[in-house]
Amino acid sequence: MPFLLLVGAEDMSSIVDVENLTVTFRARGGGGFLFERGKNTINAVEDATFHVKDGETFGLAGETGSGKSTIARVLVGLYRPRAGIIRLLGREINFRNKSDVAYLRRNVGIVFQDPVGSLNPRLKVREILKEALIAAKALDKREFQRRTEEILEKVGLRKSSIEAYPRELSGGEKQRVSLARALIVPKKLLVLDEPTTSLDVSIQAQVLNTLRTLKSELALSCLFITHDINVIKYMSNTLGILYYGKLVEVGPTYDVVMTPKHPYTGKLMANVPKLERAEHEQEVLADLGPSATGCIYSKVCPQKFEKCADPPPMFNVGPRQFAACHLYENSKALH
Amino acid sequence: MSDGSPSSSDGKIPLLKVEGLTQDFATVDGRVRVLQNISMQIERGEIVGIVGESGSGKSTLGLAIIGLLDSPPSEILSGSIVFDGHEMLKLDASGLSHFRGPGIGMVFQESLAALNPVYKTESQLKESIEVLRKAQKLELTDTAERDMMLEILTDLRLDKPEVVLKKYPHELSGGMRQRISIAMAIIEKPRLLILDEVTTGLDVYVQNRILGLLKELNRRTGTTMILITHDLTVASQICNTLYVMYAGRLMEEGRTENLIKAPQHPYSQKLMAAIPQGFADAPALPAPTGEAPDIRKLPSGCKFHPRCHVVMEKCKTEEPPYFETSPGCRSSCWLAQKT
Repeated sequence: MPFLLLVGAEDMSSIVDVENLTVTFRARGGGGFLFERGKNTINAVEDATFHVKDGETFGLAGETGSGKSTIARVLVGLYRPRAGIIRLLGREINFRNKSDVAYLRRNVGIVFQDPVGSLNPRLKVREILKEALIAAKALDKREFQRRTEEILEKVGLRKSSIEAYPRELSGGEKQRVSLARALIVPKKLLVLDEPTTSLDVSIQAQVLNTLRTLKSELALSCLFITHDINVIKYMSNTLGILYYGKLVEVGPTYDVVMTPKHPYTGKLMANVPKLERAEHEQEVLADLGPSATGCIYSKVCPQKFEKCADPPPMFNVGPRQFAACHLYENSKALH
Repeated sequence: MSDGSPSSSDGKIPLLKVEGLTQDFATVDGRVRVLQNISMQIERGEIVGIVGESGSGKSTLGLAIIGLLDSPPSEILSGSIVFDGHEMLKLDASGLSHFRGPGIGMVFQESLAALNPVYKTESQLKESIEVLRKAQKLELTDTAERDMMLEILTDLRLDKPEVVLKKYPHELSGGMRQRISIAMAIIEKPRLLILDEVTTGLDVYVQNRILGLLKELNRRTGTTMILITHDLTVASQICNTLYVMYAGRLMEEGRTENLIKAPQHPYSQKLMAAIPQGFADAPALPAPTGEAPDIRKLPSGCKFHPRCHVVMEKCKTEEPPYFETSPGCRSSCWLAQKT
């Protein structure tokens, strides 16, 4: 697999390899008007390939409905892929095999976007954390107290919050509980699915600071998912851009943000909110959605040409940077 | 108000003037002060931003202006809200309803909850047209109504508006629903539009579209707007003036360009510092520590002092008044006091 060799920095080993991942959902009715590829099925993710390296944060950015959360859920075994390979620490996961899925869940922790919906309202923080240990078959009663206190301190929660119910905690504190639950058993990969989207900017900043400290203290590898480019560029080392289920660009975060190659990435970066009055009037265009044939972005792309009638492969457009766009047909193609 | 709609004045007086508004809520835990001495003046055609964390009272202020807070539990202790020369606080329910819709419109954050789930877009918009028709005593044929709906949806850049008209709220995406909510409000041609967290939860792309559309609407029709948001970057894009709220109080106000270039109040400074800047190698964010205070148990003195990075002894006991820092800019901080 040349892509594997090219994308990864040679000195880092992969924690997770995602190769040609396709996740399909059956749609009721006519398949909706967002995804019209195939009859009554929706490819929430199509042919996505990326690798999370040891100790790095891989960012996945994209609009609502681009398939970011679907990928997150596959990685904790909540959805089963239709095609493709997921490898965790070199072990290929067979999603039909219970022990494989258990292995995946033991080693991958997840924090969901909605702090209210993801914590059981009838359990105290102590019991929420205990459940995580029971699930991982790691509950040692003598050790429980010590581990709980340790993790609470690490994620920045007061000791007293252990006796609190989720409703007694603020949004930021709830996300910290989710984080503690994900990390109370050491994990190989932490999946963060929009962990700060529901929080105020000031609380978001505090949680981001905690995450960065935790990452360096515990040498965590993370998959960070958000639509907020300011956040993802602050948090990730490598960045993948999703558009309606297609990974259109992957590369080092700095390069993808500063020199985006795919026209969609360029557009996305131009839309990043800055702390200033928008002086230039941007023309607001109608939302046309993905193209059913050829390049998925060809319906909206200003640089569209004949070639775009065929789906583009990934081209190597810079050091470790890849874009699925025919504009780079002279670069080396993958697959 | 002979024609049943708020009369329009000569334009010299501000469209909205709030003065010394102080409001309490009666709760099971006793009385809670939710707004304390709020004064603001909004000129015609302006876009004004109200920024603050959750619980700072920004939505309450929006609801107070449009008169949607029931009394009890809410009680206005002092102050006045003058909209286009009319004192809103003296009006009863039927008097207020003259001003809602064509006078003051409001768009809420949760588009899913704001739209009736069993109504198609068509019927939702028809309700608004009905309000406009009654207010302006218009004769509208069905075709004229439909054209109006299609026009407004096209203006809001919804693809295939005739299809959207036949959809129920659950069949639409968040950005589309939010635009339907906005369409419902603007179809009534309000002179003041209050937008409560209309872009929260939407991704950047959709957010920018909505902000762009609002700005365009403001330029084309001169609609005055109040944008309520916790996100300073959102507010800074389209607002002329910003108000920063904390614990039911105004902390700072000023022209957007001045306020974001040189925020005077430590709280505004911290809010700005909380916006992620730079890449993974950038230093930790100098965000404000702690969380917004429980409005039932506010600290003494300046309400921000427990989280303030430049707190002084005086701040712990005395609440600072509003000091003018430069023309049009005010800050409620002892540091802004000119000796």
